[in-house]
Amino acid sequence: MPMSKTYRFISILWISLLGHPVAAQQPQATPQVTVETTNDTVKVSLQSLPPEKAPLLAGAAVSVDICGLAMKGVGAKFANMEAAARINFKEKYFPLFEIGLGDCTREGQENNNLFSTTAPYFRIGMDYNFNKKLNGNRFFGGLRYGFSAFKYDFSNPDFTDEVWQQPIPFNIKDHKARAQWAEVVIGVETKLWSIVRLGYNVRYRLRLSQSGNEWGDPWYVPGFGRNGGTTWGGTVNLTFDVGKSARNPRKESRK
Amino acid sequence: MRKTIIIWILLLISSCDQVDCTLYSTVSYTCALYADGSSVSLGDTLTITAMGTDSVLLNRANNVNAFSLPMSMAMQADTLVLHITGDGYSLYDTMQVEKTNDPHFESPDCPTRMFHTITRVLSTHNFIDSIVVTNPQVNYANVENIQIHFYPLD
Repeated sequence: MPMSKTYRFISILWISLLGHPVAAQQPQATPQVTVETTNDTVKVSLQSLPPEKAPLLAGAAVSVDICGLAMKGVGAKFANMEAAARINFKEKYFPLFEIGLGDCTREGQENNNLFSTTAPYFRIGMDYNFNKKLNGNRFFGGLRYGFSAFKYDFSNPDFTDEVWQQPIPFNIKDHKARAQWAEVVIGVETKLWSIVRLGYNVRYRLRLSQSGNEWGDPWYVPGFGRNGGTTWGGTVNLTFDVGKSARNPRKESRK
Repeated sequence: MRKTIIIWILLLISSCDQVDCTLYSTVSYTCALYADGSSVSLGDTLTITAMGTDSVLLNRANNVNAFSLPMSMAMQADTLVLHITGDGYSLYDTMQVEKTNDPHFESPDCPTRMFHTITRVLSTHNFIDSIVVTNPQVNYANVENIQIHFYPLD
């Protein structure tokens, strides 16, 4: 099954999970019940709580992509290992910065070609939380701008001119390249316990520009994935809230 | 929730590869035959061999108005011997194609290719009048690269 089809399947799976009742796992605020007793009547009134409001600066968080680490651990052909830091504004806006290390070693399936690179990459962007309730769950939509300047190796030791019968070992070493891309992100996140959150997202990546492809496009771009005009990706984030409101955002929001 | 995340991770890391090499991946240059300023089909038999190899690049071609030839991948110039035979005659001309060699790769799964840029073409003039480079870029594109103009046909 082609990789793009796999990601498409994952996207469909993700969308189907949007309706998952994760909110039910979180304790909900109960409305206040008032009972007034007069001579022969009992008056029960249900007073709803005022709408929850998050403070302007509602916290910060750092996260690590455990999927990238898992891919590296199982020896996948490439892996984007990354961490991120973000600020929480009003539980709605999450400007963030992502930094990672892309690693790829790819051998040809039917030849001895070898492509390899290991290089850092960077992304900046912002997520928007569509969940209006402060129940610990977040449904994100967001945008990213990604950039990587990297060096790659490509070798074909068996390259031969079959007509003139001349071996031409082909080796590119530390060839410099750059790439920029944009990402559209959708994701979910839930609170596991205390300051720990778990979430995942799916990303559609659009390459904006690249250089260093005089001899051909690098097979993999750190942070982007398999090179092409567009590609799919995703992360599984283990997130740790930090800051004053990290342990109990609801309490902070009521101040 | 936890189960779905585990399933998601397993799906992600078990993604399969796809190999998408260019289908038309032959690198050759096309020579078109001209006489009196217009395209002609050669009524005689044309054979082309390359110096430095035993290979016959074009073997007894007849009634052709264009042909494609491979380029060497390491040499700076290819020297070709054109042998034309007809009723009662046999003529030879030598053509030298000078060019650059530019390696090209698409993917580790695909074969590496050599692209070229034709910089100059020289020839002897027994039956070749002149040679014009119309498109110096030699790659996957199957376009006319060189015009070989013969002396006016009798």
